[in-house]
Amino acid sequence: MHSYVRPNTHIALRLPSGQLKIVEIAPNTNINLGKYGTFSSNQILGRPYYLTFELLDKDDGKSSPELRVVPASELHAEALGSDYAPPAEATDESVPAEGATGFDIVGEDGEVIMRNNRLTVDDPSRQTLSMEEIEELKKAGAGSGKDIIARIMASHMGIEEKTQFSLAKYTLRKSRKYMKRFTVLPLDIGMLTEYVTEKEAYKIMELREETLGLICSWANVHCASSSRILTAEDGVSQIGGGRWLVVDDTGGLVTAAMAEKMGILYPPTEEEMEGSEEAEEAATEAAPQEATLTTNVPTETTETVESNGTQDVMVADTEAGAASTTQNPPAETSEPRPSTRKPRQHIPQMSAQANTLTVLHPNNQPNISHLKYFGFDTGNPVPTHPLYTHLKSVSWLQLLHPEEDPSYIEPETLTDDALANLKSSKRGNYYKKRRRWEKTKRVVDETRAGGFDGLVIATGMETKTILKEVIPLVRGGGKIVVYSPNAEPLVELCDYYSKDRRAAYIAREFGPQQNGTSKKMKTEPEDDEDDEGTNSTENGDDDDDFPVNPTLLLAPSVQTARARHWQVLPQRTHPFMTSRGGAEGYLFTATRVLPVEGKVEARGHGRGKKRKVGPDAAVPS
Amino acid sequence: MTPQPSPFFDPGAQSVAGSLGVLQLKRDHLIPAILSASSDSDYAEGHVENTRFGSYPHSTLLNQPWGTQVLASVVDTGSRSSKSKKRKRDEGDEGENGGDAPTAKAGQSKSEVVKAERSRSEVVKAATASSGFAHLVPPTPETWTLCLPHRTQVVYTPDYSYILQRLRVRPGDHIIEAGAGSGSFTHASVRAVFNGYPWESNADEETTAKKRESKREGHVYSYEYHAPRAEQLQKEIASHGLDSLVTVTNRDVYGDGFCLDSEDEPNADVIFLDLPAPWQALKHLTRSPPSPAVLNAVSDASADASDTPQPTSKPFRSPLNPKSTTRICTFSPCIEQVTKTVSALRSLGWLEIGMSEIQAKRLEVRRERVGLQEEGLRGANPTAATVQEAVQRLRDVEDRAKAFHGLQKVKQDQVMRRAEAKKRGEKTAAATSETNGKSGAAKAKLDALPPSKHDRLERAKRDLERRALFKEGRLVHRTEPEIKTHTSYLVFAILPREWSREDEDKARKKWG
Repeated sequence: MHSYVRPNTHIALRLPSGQLKIVEIAPNTNINLGKYGTFSSNQILGRPYYLTFELLDKDDGKSSPELRVVPASELHAEALGSDYAPPAEATDESVPAEGATGFDIVGEDGEVIMRNNRLTVDDPSRQTLSMEEIEELKKAGAGSGKDIIARIMASHMGIEEKTQFSLAKYTLRKSRKYMKRFTVLPLDIGMLTEYVTEKEAYKIMELREETLGLICSWANVHCASSSRILTAEDGVSQIGGGRWLVVDDTGGLVTAAMAEKMGILYPPTEEEMEGSEEAEEAATEAAPQEATLTTNVPTETTETVESNGTQDVMVADTEAGAASTTQNPPAETSEPRPSTRKPRQHIPQMSAQANTLTVLHPNNQPNISHLKYFGFDTGNPVPTHPLYTHLKSVSWLQLLHPEEDPSYIEPETLTDDALANLKSSKRGNYYKKRRRWEKTKRVVDETRAGGFDGLVIATGMETKTILKEVIPLVRGGGKIVVYSPNAEPLVELCDYYSKDRRAAYIAREFGPQQNGTSKKMKTEPEDDEDDEGTNSTENGDDDDDFPVNPTLLLAPSVQTARARHWQVLPQRTHPFMTSRGGAEGYLFTATRVLPVEGKVEARGHGRGKKRKVGPDAAVPS
Repeated sequence: MTPQPSPFFDPGAQSVAGSLGVLQLKRDHLIPAILSASSDSDYAEGHVENTRFGSYPHSTLLNQPWGTQVLASVVDTGSRSSKSKKRKRDEGDEGENGGDAPTAKAGQSKSEVVKAERSRSEVVKAATASSGFAHLVPPTPETWTLCLPHRTQVVYTPDYSYILQRLRVRPGDHIIEAGAGSGSFTHASVRAVFNGYPWESNADEETTAKKRESKREGHVYSYEYHAPRAEQLQKEIASHGLDSLVTVTNRDVYGDGFCLDSEDEPNADVIFLDLPAPWQALKHLTRSPPSPAVLNAVSDASADASDTPQPTSKPFRSPLNPKSTTRICTFSPCIEQVTKTVSALRSLGWLEIGMSEIQAKRLEVRRERVGLQEEGLRGANPTAATVQEAVQRLRDVEDRAKAFHGLQKVKQDQVMRRAEAKKRGEKTAAATSETNGKSGAAKAKLDALPPSKHDRLERAKRDLERRALFKEGRLVHRTEPEIKTHTSYLVFAILPREWSREDEDKARKKWG
């Protein structure tokens, strides 16, 4: 994954200014980097990620400039200042060696006296080059920008007075401005987060990389493609199987992060493990053909496959497998399979049974547009993409009142005769409708049956209303994670699950029964908390007091994490001076549990220890 | 026979014997237990988990749906060692284990009777205790991190989640972990790379023969210098059903590097170094043999490892996957370690070097109740909530004082009058009747007064029963009392695929 640039994928380019630019890279196109220049996409296709390229002078007769890979040692030398330059690498010859001398603007005379800034003159006039002159230099189009910087430095009157550190800083600043370079980066979750954060952080609810990591960890998200398909005690609903529920207002970023952890985010890449170059070549040649084939699939199939829980886990797996094997053409094309022209078995969308994500959404369609960067277009999903079968979506209406949703209502069934008499386009329509209904019904029914392994929420909606409906769908031991940019909504949520509230809830639910018929547990009030709010039901609206059932979650807690980034340079190590403010980003985590019916006495120190109030004592103590 | 799937990935619908379950008592108080149905234990009830919050025989934990609230059982915890002494010690035990089992004596003696009668082979059905409960939850790396036996410093959830996220660890990756320590990162990383068990693809050979070619199973290669720790980790890994996914090696990676005997191992995509001197291990993590100059530069950074003549006898083999971008993270508590590591990384040609630290905290949520109605109650602030309340209280005090002083005066007057009357030799009868009437009036007057402190406390206590404390007061949050202000510095770096001139020529030919 993500070792070299593949055609028709999204990549990120980091410019000298530190900005990110996302492009979908198609062969034989030009990529324009604004003031830094233009180059042909073919020049970076097939090259490894994380290389830094330098745009070189245009040779006569060539349309686009040459690219030069900047070796690591050169990059480091610049960042460090020449005194600390690491030795040239042994692997340096791998680069089209033209400027092996490197970047020696920082002409050091070898003297090792420590300079300080006592004599520094803060005056812009010390730079003798005027702006116009610099503009002239730029227009002269001199290659990588090195010479501009060299000129600028040369015409700075105080350059000798600069301390070695300030000189390094100055050089770095100038190179950010004038160097014609870019670094090719894979567009993965971290990169996408960084990109969106800089532009429109609110669209992803100001999620940071560390928060995404926390969410996925606490939700116990992992690849479950080999999980068993188990039915719950009721004999109908599925339990477990690596299925997570998601409420996602981040445009699909949370969904994508989870999908990455589950191994279903990226389309299978043909060369992944194949050793030989030829295989890669053949694969890429076969790819377009494959694409055309798959686009026909939905219309040409006449048979729909019912997947009524009769399939076992291998089906889900082989579906994905089938998709990937067709992408493995070198061996595959010569296989005894009759012909690839034969209508392939229809793979129903959202049909996987294990390792799935179910998105709950307030509109007719889920907003998961960020998935487009990973080759998944919700409007027109490609069947070869793993999310095609593993990503399901259910609207709130479908979840709570399916009978009111038109797509849940079964379309009329036609007899074979009637069907035969239809025009082919009508017949196509008929099947399309049936298939859509089958899909909706299957997904809605299985979602309502519950048994999910976890629930992840990142939304601006009132969370208690979500939890009230959805917590029952999570299996015992399943994980609940709620993200919010601000602490208050989660604090409130935590309070709905507080120990005191739970005690009051239990007292309300089971109090009278317990007094009347003596249950197996005796009341032995060892704490005054048992008395608390026993009569709360009389003086309060139930839904206001107990918007959620507080006994269903264990160990609710709120946490946050922030990464602080540092500059590490020799003798100049410190945290970065500035960073992004904005929302801190909090996480509510809890475990779904199955409470015992009736009143349960906690055991503990009672009055012995200082009594705690609040959620950290919410678990039995 | 196919092995059981690990409870970490697929715990199943309910707990089964021989598999790991976690008993959650408080948020941060969890007890791991390999559940067992056998009776080879000192207890009549078979294996028992004894906790501050009651005893839980495994028989009550087995075959329960995950997440079940389990009630504590009555287990005779005092007399397991010697049966003869049992009865004598019984009384004393009751007192000693007050905190452990403050249960009904009847229940305990009953279990003893049962115990005496049972045959050795069968597990006695435990009687439910009158209080105490816990929840049975399936293990996850998070719960395991909270309850694992500490051998070294543990990498906690906020750190490892960020590390795994930032290292882009994905299902199917191979990860090197050096300095396995207590194994918390091992569990987290095996979850991140897991995408199937090796025995699965071996099982149905013919259908998956081709698939296996293309599918690469995620694997964790764990290295630990300390032999007993490595052994312990290996045991844990095996008992968690993860042994086919984790290879634990007892080795000094500074000297011996990371390559294993098998040709394609570790073939790593991701590296996590939790070592005291990560820069000494870095020289083994290259794609091609590093040049002497680089080696010198690296070992200069580490003065103590300057005498490392490269063992040139063996042909060079890289532990890295040549077809992927290698990502690395080192985990060091001190800034000096970071500087050395970073300069070694630079010398060895790593890119995108960055250093971060994670600052995590948990919030405590509580309701803060303030007001005079809280007088004498626990966990609340009994001062006046508002200016009005304060004024009213001052008035009340003043009123009471006035009334009190008035009474005093009346009494004094009375005494004076009586004394005078005595002097004058008047009848005492009238005087007594007069005082009687007067004191009655005074009583009435006192009743109308604001209540005394004693009365107020009484009333607060009485009111408490009718109040719904869970929604009273102001909802507030604050950082929890104990925070980890520093765990370690995380250094991240990336080593791209090797790119030779031939590769470049090929790419040029292909893409024009």
